[in-house]
Amino acid sequence: MATDSYAIELRNITKTFGKVVANKGIHLKLRKGEILSLLGENGSGKTTLMNMLSGIYKPDEGQIIVDGQEVSIQSPEDAKRLGIGMVHQHFKLVDVFSAADNILMGDENAGMLLRRNRYEKIEQIAKRFGFEIDPKKKVCNMSVSEKQTIEIIKVLYYGAKTIILDEPTAVLTVQEIAKLFRILRKMKEQGHSIIIITHKLNEVMDISDRVMIMRKGEYIDTVLAGETNEQQLTELMVGRKVSLDIARPVVEHTKPLLEIRDLTIRNDEGAVAIDKINFYIRGGEILGVAGIAGCGQKELCEAIAGLRPIESGMMIHKGDNIVGLSPQAIIEKGIAMSFIPEDRLGMGLAPSLSITDNMLLKRYQKTGKPHSPFVDRKAGRQFAQQVIDELQVVTPSTETPVRLLSGGNVQKVLLGREIATGPNVIVTAYPVRGLDVNSSYAIYDILNKQKQDGVGILFVGEDLDVMMALCDKIMVICHGRLMGVVHAHKVTKEELGLMMTGAMDISELNGKTAGIAKDSNIQEGGEENA
Amino acid sequence: MHKRNAAFRIVKRSEYSVQRMILYYIIAILLAFGIGGILLAALKVDVIRFYKEMLTIGMLDNAYPYRSVEGLIKVFVPLVLVSLALSLAYRMKFWNVGGEGQFIVGALGAAWVAMLFGERLSTPVMLLLMILAGGLFAGLFGVFTAVLKVRFGTNETLLTLMCNYIALYVLKYFGETKTGWNLFLSKDSARPKFEKIPQNAFMPTIQMGRFSLNISLLLAIVFTVFMIFYLNKSKQGYEISVVGDSVNTAKYAGMKVGRIIIRTVFLSAMVIGVAGACHVSTSHTLSTSITNNVGWTGVIVAWLAKLNPIGILVTSFLISVLQYGTSVANANFTAVDANFANLLQGIILFIILAVDFLLKFKIVRTGKTNNNKEVA
Amino acid sequence: MSAMDVISLFVYYIVVYNIALLYGTVGEIVTEKSGSMNLGVEGTMAVGAIGGYLMGCLTDNLYVGILAAFVFAGLCGLLFAWLTISMQANQNVTGLTITTFGLGLYFFIGKGIGKAWPVMQQKEHLLQQVAEIRIPGLADIPIIGKGFFHQNILVYLGFLIAIAMWFYMNKTKLGLRMRAIGENPAAADAVGINIKRYKYIHVVLGAGIMGIGGYQMGLNLGGTFEGSNCWINGYGWIAIALVIFANWNTAKAILGTLVFGFFNTLQVYGSALAETFPKALGFLNAIPAQVYQALPFLITAIVLIFNSVKKNKTSGQPAATGINYYREDR
Repeated sequence: MATDSYAIELRNITKTFGKVVANKGIHLKLRKGEILSLLGENGSGKTTLMNMLSGIYKPDEGQIIVDGQEVSIQSPEDAKRLGIGMVHQHFKLVDVFSAADNILMGDENAGMLLRRNRYEKIEQIAKRFGFEIDPKKKVCNMSVSEKQTIEIIKVLYYGAKTIILDEPTAVLTVQEIAKLFRILRKMKEQGHSIIIITHKLNEVMDISDRVMIMRKGEYIDTVLAGETNEQQLTELMVGRKVSLDIARPVVEHTKPLLEIRDLTIRNDEGAVAIDKINFYIRGGEILGVAGIAGCGQKELCEAIAGLRPIESGMMIHKGDNIVGLSPQAIIEKGIAMSFIPEDRLGMGLAPSLSITDNMLLKRYQKTGKPHSPFVDRKAGRQFAQQVIDELQVVTPSTETPVRLLSGGNVQKVLLGREIATGPNVIVTAYPVRGLDVNSSYAIYDILNKQKQDGVGILFVGEDLDVMMALCDKIMVICHGRLMGVVHAHKVTKEELGLMMTGAMDISELNGKTAGIAKDSNIQEGGEENA
Repeated sequence: MHKRNAAFRIVKRSEYSVQRMILYYIIAILLAFGIGGILLAALKVDVIRFYKEMLTIGMLDNAYPYRSVEGLIKVFVPLVLVSLALSLAYRMKFWNVGGEGQFIVGALGAAWVAMLFGERLSTPVMLLLMILAGGLFAGLFGVFTAVLKVRFGTNETLLTLMCNYIALYVLKYFGETKTGWNLFLSKDSARPKFEKIPQNAFMPTIQMGRFSLNISLLLAIVFTVFMIFYLNKSKQGYEISVVGDSVNTAKYAGMKVGRIIIRTVFLSAMVIGVAGACHVSTSHTLSTSITNNVGWTGVIVAWLAKLNPIGILVTSFLISVLQYGTSVANANFTAVDANFANLLQGIILFIILAVDFLLKFKIVRTGKTNNNKEVA
Repeated sequence: MSAMDVISLFVYYIVVYNIALLYGTVGEIVTEKSGSMNLGVEGTMAVGAIGGYLMGCLTDNLYVGILAAFVFAGLCGLLFAWLTISMQANQNVTGLTITTFGLGLYFFIGKGIGKAWPVMQQKEHLLQQVAEIRIPGLADIPIIGKGFFHQNILVYLGFLIAIAMWFYMNKTKLGLRMRAIGENPAAADAVGINIKRYKYIHVVLGAGIMGIGGYQMGLNLGGTFEGSNCWINGYGWIAIALVIFANWNTAKAILGTLVFGFFNTLQVYGSALAETFPKALGFLNAIPAQVYQALPFLITAIVLIFNSVKKNKTSGQPAATGINYYREDR
């Protein structure tokens, strides 16, 4: 078959970051004038693969063929020249410029002068594809959806024949999604080829001609959207269950510690990140939080730690509503958080400071003599040494700056500090991200030990196999909405996958909020104390 | 495709080597002296003699070598105090470039107290009051910029810059306006002229043979030691480190970041004010050029020393030798302007700023550290 | 002198003694809009002044002088650009160093050349070139005619550059791209704009413009080197203030120059006005000169605070100015 019937062909693409293989021998064929969905869990390597097409990364191995010609894409300019455009998840726009100027600034062929008719030119392009925009409107006055529209028009304006959209629906409302899909279909009719990255199965079924599935950096399969169903896609996406040898000690007597009631939180952009969710954390239990990345996990953790104001709802800890308390007050209540953001060192640790100093972060005011103006570093060193010994942190000394430690050791320091404060609730997010197998197991052991000591743990995780083996219960969030709370040993991986992608919602079975039924006494208990 | 692959790439270093830094800095200084030498030679100046006289601050072949040391101390003390104070604010990435203004306000405050109380107070009480007034005035003058920055995000670099000139013209106003209430001016002189402060407000000296050691030097050293302890041992110093490293982490640990910034900037400005007060007390009079650009030089010293107190002590000393030495050498070489120190200082700094790049980044051949950059 | 003449002369002084401010401000706006904060205006202007003056006098040609001022100051800009853009040095520290260095160089050369200092008054051709040019008709407009239309070529050039830069930044594609870098370098990078090249060009261009301003001051102040005071005498710092006052708009900078120049000129000319109009303007004598000197900075500080309190969205302050861009940090 002649290769030129494909807009893009990727052959055997491999990309590694250090020791981590992000893409392993990936093949991809994009037909001209089709919409191809790229489906996969977090960390399956979709965005990395697309970044190699848009010139941000370069593949270690493999070939990229555009219109039947082998090419090498070194930079975004190269991609632009080859007619490939990508709409990134994070928009790259100049706030104080008008829509038209944001588009024009990258135009090589436009004349030297900015003429008044530039607005009309942009408007014409927009009309051709059915966009409604005001080209004179400044980006800072635009909604998220409008900004995305500008990004798409920008790509089209630069003459892209192949358009890649990275999770375009994540920030949109239902109506806006419908509008976006109408536009994508129109673009397809006009001969554009489209790759869309998404997690939502209903959208995949709705928009795409074919679906390519990736898992853990590997190519799994490509299926025709018309010949598949959500069940099959989920199975392909999450894979067969892998048995992991992670212990799950059973704690006989669990007691409720933290109840979250009708909690709504907004994200930095002002959109609803967590939408009226209810759950609670019990002492002696690990509650897993499963969900596609960016479904409100970060906002939830921040709200519990008192770092983010909440829109509405309650957080009841041992009978007291902790909403509106300062981070300091929440720490004193024994709620500890270890959150590992994507850059790993952003929150919770001061990277340039020593392990000792990081150990003292939450307790420097209280360690040593009260009201002493001095930091008790001696206690800090002991404390650091204790964590180093207990958790086997590999470090030259207690005075080594944290940023020089390896990922696993950073995690241990962070968790070790939180545990050492003797908390009754631990909120931990992605504690094994980027760790090798041995380090990961060390972390699981630490968490299990805490659980046995009666601590309630909220575990925000990524790997479903791990969560199914480690957690007692798993709650699934899809775009800020609670899809249900399930027992980890009873649920199947496919069910979790369907819930994560929004295809299955068991949050309101029998008119009751899922998972609440069994422990409903907590609500009364909470109010009595209040 | 037709795109050149760069043979070298720039990678951030993770480790900061002090030895390498000192070595590079010494090379930078030597290089700058070399360039300066060429410039001097172009003016037909005996380069070796000039440098010799400059670096020994004119102590050789001098009947009063101790005078040179006394002079050097007068330049050194304000510089080290101001640089230390500025470094406090910079540790939290608060760009206080208002050292000039804060110094002036401090000096004005101290002189005002001195003039107001006149001979009535004993020297220790007087000095204490002057330092308190100088510190308080300057602290308040500086802290309002921090409040605005924390509350409204006002650009502190530009605001403190403007404040420098407002303070300067206030000082000039007092220095050039002869009215009945202006207690800063000399009553005897017909032309406006700053009056000397009363004798009991003079900074005392310790006589060591013929050399008189200015007490303010001790003050500067004590303060440097205090700073080392404050930054490394105290809870407030710890808070400054955390806020400077990661604001998010500080918030998460329950620290009140805004309050810490305001408190630290107040302290920073206050110390600059104290430096101003000491300087008035040492030089016995106000003048419109009282700062001797110490507010600007302090920014550069603090930055050069990487905000490290010991580093600041050393750098301030070297810069003082450079500045004072040139002014001394200048007396014997009429072709060379006193501003040669500035020129040389500028050249040294340019080279060091460039060299800093090699300390922060390293250049690697592409291919060797494959893909390192994308990992981050 | 008639009252009319007094006012007319007042306007004339406002323009001729402050046009250098306009050069400094326009140069700094060009620099800041492209994303660099150069605090070295004072030093850059000083280098431009001395370079332009010497070359102009040596060749007895004004245009050589202007070119030399541009080139010498441009070299300061190049140094700033290399250190901050290629070497990632801190912009504030580099800018202050440029000032220290520039003033040092000014005095070093000035004093070194000392006796051999060429005297402008002896250069007839140059004097002829710098003579005032009367624009027929317009120069006869009462009050402002003399101030705006009977000036030397450098005054006209200053206005011309300000207007040209306004046009360039707001009406051309290159200007659009350059502003994009000052606002959001990552966005500019994503559409394939060569950030380094644009930054270099505009920092050097800005510095060059400042340099011509320095030269204008040198010519204006009689062309004798005093050795105790730099010709620039703080105008570089006022220019930085004026950038804020003009809201990063080179056309508004013309207005700002006239406002700041008004205060500057009152300082020396206030008593003449007070004498001529004792009833209406007699109070001018009572206002101390320092108030006029401080006013530009005071007004600017107030504008700065006001803008931040109001969270002024129409502020022209480029968002990314002063922050070094390192692509791999994003």
